[in-house]
Amino acid sequence: MLKEKLQKFFKLDRRWIFLLLAIVLFAPIIKPIGLPNKTISRDVQNAYTYMDTLAPGSFVLFSLDYDPSTRPELQPQAIAMIRHAFQKNLRVGVVTYIAGATGLIQQAFEKVPKEYNKVYGKDYVIFPYMANAVAVLTQMSSDFYGIYDKDQDGTDARTLPVMQGIKNYKNMALVVNITGTSMLDIWVAYVGDKYKVPVIGGVTAISQPGYGPYLQTGQLKGLIGGMKGAAEYESLIKQPGKGTSGIDSLNLAHLLVLALILTSNIILLIIKYL
Amino acid sequence: MKLIKKQIPLAIVFVFGVLTLISYYIPHKKSVDFMEMMNKWENIVAAFAFFLGLISLFYSHYSKIARKVDGWGYSLFVYIGFLAMVVPAIYCHGKQMDAAGKTALGWSFSFIYNPLSATMFAILAFYIVSTAYRSFRIKSLQAFVLFVAAFILILGKVPLGQIIWTSVLGWTGAGVDQVIDWIMSYPAVAGKRGIMIGIAIGAVVTSFKIIFGIERQYMGKD
Repeated sequence: MLKEKLQKFFKLDRRWIFLLLAIVLFAPIIKPIGLPNKTISRDVQNAYTYMDTLAPGSFVLFSLDYDPSTRPELQPQAIAMIRHAFQKNLRVGVVTYIAGATGLIQQAFEKVPKEYNKVYGKDYVIFPYMANAVAVLTQMSSDFYGIYDKDQDGTDARTLPVMQGIKNYKNMALVVNITGTSMLDIWVAYVGDKYKVPVIGGVTAISQPGYGPYLQTGQLKGLIGGMKGAAEYESLIKQPGKGTSGIDSLNLAHLLVLALILTSNIILLIIKYL
Repeated sequence: MKLIKKQIPLAIVFVFGVLTLISYYIPHKKSVDFMEMMNKWENIVAAFAFFLGLISLFYSHYSKIARKVDGWGYSLFVYIGFLAMVVPAIYCHGKQMDAAGKTALGWSFSFIYNPLSATMFAILAFYIVSTAYRSFRIKSLQAFVLFVAAFILILGKVPLGQIIWTSVLGWTGAGVDQVIDWIMSYPAVAGKRGIMIGIAIGAVVTSFKIIFGIERQYMGKD
């Protein structure tokens, strides 16, 4: 009798689980719990330290390769790192190889530069979307302007003050790639390793474990993973943003997954030995 | 005919495959210039491939609408979605912002593309949670090990999990961060490195097979 009752749990309509998840995700947005983010992971700390020790005026190339599907995890990472770069008075160049990223880049740069009184063309520049990343990355190794001769507004890139002294990767202090695709592997293989350019990555939480080998060998100087990584970086630069505010929902959703797996397996054990 | 359809393409692949491979290892201006030229060609060919892909997509959905197959209404949205982004993009010369604020393209990106793309991905979360409940069964030792590793990783990734770990397992002296670091630095890296080496060797072998004309599937059936 009990066995039959328990078996009903496995036939539970999936829409109840959907509803439970929706509640778990929405409740903290309406009423934040405000749990503190106590720990900073080693890889996020390394990313922060590397960026923090760059000399003012160094050129950092941001490759922002994500679209709205991974925006909640990756846009906070990008904003936190751009803020850090501006705090340190670094020069910022932005490229992308994902067409859907152009609007998100626009949204990020509408707001962040104003916070630090940064001027387009002098302190930062945004380049247009390019297809075929491997070919573009290879081309940039010899002559950056062979591919990016104009910025997103059609201005000659060579004439922009922010680009003074930049010809190829040798003149760049750091490449930051934030991506929801395999672009980080391409940056490491075609640029980081071959031209000895330091690379820092920002990826979704689900793909974070796959970059362990690059971190161990120093091919990546640091890595930010998912919304938690964004929240950690925000706490390091002391500017809470969307990463920090999203942590509550993340907390409860993760625990819900664990609770569901545990529940189903405990029920399975009871049925087996009953 | 055999010369045009087989031998010339194979010769082109061989010559340019070998030249590109050699250029990678020769730091000379000539090889750099050659690589630059190849990159430009590749971009031009990719643009044509993109255009062909678009025509193929439109044709495939047009035939679905014309034959009124099941779900043909969804095919209409391919055209609607395309026009909703492309027409504003042409009209605004690709600019999402101007002095007056958001352009029509900026509006389409923010209020059509952005929410649609985010919704598609967000739906996955619901299916993952539902599948975790219905399908993750610990029926073997391997499944148990996987579960323990996943349990610790999920717990350690969120502050609430870290608090739970400290209050339940704090007496062990091992922080959840240390345990996660160990899992990520040893078993996870070992597995991932093995996969990466395997993929790299496979890619090298396949490339050689294509260069030397052993692998010819890219040429089609004729």
